[in-house]
Amino acid sequence: MSNWQELKNNPRLKEIFDTRVKIVRLIREYFWGQGFAEVNTPAAVTCADQEPHLSPIPVVFHDERGADSQFFLQTSPEYAMKKLLAAGYEKIFQICSVWRDFEESGHTHNTEFTMIEWYRSPGELGAIMDDIEKLFKFTAEKLDKKIVEYSGKKVDIFGDWERASVRELWQKYVGVNFDDYLTKDKLRGLTKKLGYQVGASDDFNDLFYKIFLNKIEAHLGVERPTIVYNYPIQMAALARPCPADPRYAERFELYIGGLELANAFGELTDSEAQATRFAAEATERARLSKNAIPIDKELVNALKCVPTAAGIALGVDRMVMLFTGAKNINEAMFNTVKDQLNF
Amino acid sequence: MGSTQDIRKGVVIKHNGDLFVVTESQHINPGKGAAFVRARMKNLANGKVLENTYKVGESVEVVQVNFQSMQYLYKSGERFAFMNMSNYEQIEMDGDLVGDEAKYLKEGVDCVIGLYDERPVSIELPKKIKYKVVEAPPAVRGDSASGNVTKEIVLDNGLHIYAPIFIKEGEEILVNTETGEYSARA
Repeated sequence: MSNWQELKNNPRLKEIFDTRVKIVRLIREYFWGQGFAEVNTPAAVTCADQEPHLSPIPVVFHDERGADSQFFLQTSPEYAMKKLLAAGYEKIFQICSVWRDFEESGHTHNTEFTMIEWYRSPGELGAIMDDIEKLFKFTAEKLDKKIVEYSGKKVDIFGDWERASVRELWQKYVGVNFDDYLTKDKLRGLTKKLGYQVGASDDFNDLFYKIFLNKIEAHLGVERPTIVYNYPIQMAALARPCPADPRYAERFELYIGGLELANAFGELTDSEAQATRFAAEATERARLSKNAIPIDKELVNALKCVPTAAGIALGVDRMVMLFTGAKNINEAMFNTVKDQLNF
Repeated sequence: MGSTQDIRKGVVIKHNGDLFVVTESQHINPGKGAAFVRARMKNLANGKVLENTYKVGESVEVVQVNFQSMQYLYKSGERFAFMNMSNYEQIEMDGDLVGDEAKYLKEGVDCVIGLYDERPVSIELPKKIKYKVVEAPPAVRGDSASGNVTKEIVLDNGLHIYAPIFIKEGEEILVNTETGEYSARA
């Protein structure tokens, strides 16, 4: 957004910021209207997200005698919100700041950004798909902006949304049956065949994205929003396996105009399976020389009290970019990292 | 050889045997999984543009580009002339490679020019450039008290931009070259 003077004197930036204020209000109105409770959980946590490629920012707390304790700024409020599900809350949402270190500031990223997450328990992934589609349509209607434009692509928010599985997209844009490439070796062969570099350390995720980002992503959400669902189980993160085909996981992402806006899971609520995944992630973090983060045993324990659950993280700043035509995330926020460092 | 860390606007990379100048680069963090860099680049031989996405840390063949501070002189036909202030040599750059940045140029502006094999292939403008306002219509009816109404003004290099209504002819202002918008009084 730049500084207060530019905001004051540039009507285009002012309009973007005014719309941001409205969008945050509309998100709240929507979820309150649906009977969700708005919750707050701590921004600084002792057990941050274990996801191997994320870098939570370490912060140190001191007590009155000066003894220190290691905390991290959250990269997502996910763990804490699931503990609230375990405490018996069934429909909750939270709008909060999250931080991801060692990432670009500019284009579609800022070290600190605003996330909305919401969870349903009991809950199914399909209900979350319906939620996000209704939320966007509600926002579009209230802003009287039913067609949005992102990087030159016009997208009709109000029409039918596309829901496409990973398998369908690979068939359509890469011309292969993804079922045949569900192992690292198979996918490695395909990546090479398509002419992309393959490194010794490339894991399944890396190979997937080398093809996905080059061949598929730009096509997504071009005329209407696209929900991409059923990711390979290797990319499950905190998602549970699809009951009908455990080679895939209950995860979806939302793309509008080629911009990735949200990531959702049919949540893994099997406590033992979660403990196993955390251990594997901690090992992977060590291999990638990422900072070590304690395993959240409280979450593992809490999952025993969560029947079924589904939840999602949606980038509010990107949603603002989409509805305002902001050229980049800097224009959608006030005093971004870049603004503060360049002042 | 280089790595994806070297990819940024203005560098030249060899891709499938051809030379490309990077016109835009962007990091992509899918949230789950490793980070990637997407480069938009222009073929130096035929001007064709393509996009390629690399995993962070992958090797990329980066070609040595010599970045020199140069002052813009004038436009001659479809080419733009600059002077290297360290040795007073003059060079000319293709309008196609200057691209949209051309509209911000005015005599005396200091730019960073990337030279590959003596040939200018990229230009980096200052983040803010000072211009003199040569035309600014007086404030009109309906201007709100909030100070948020703008008007179109013309700058001394012919550039048209929108500026706050309080800006008058003859004043000097700064323009943000990333957005093409009014930034502040100079």
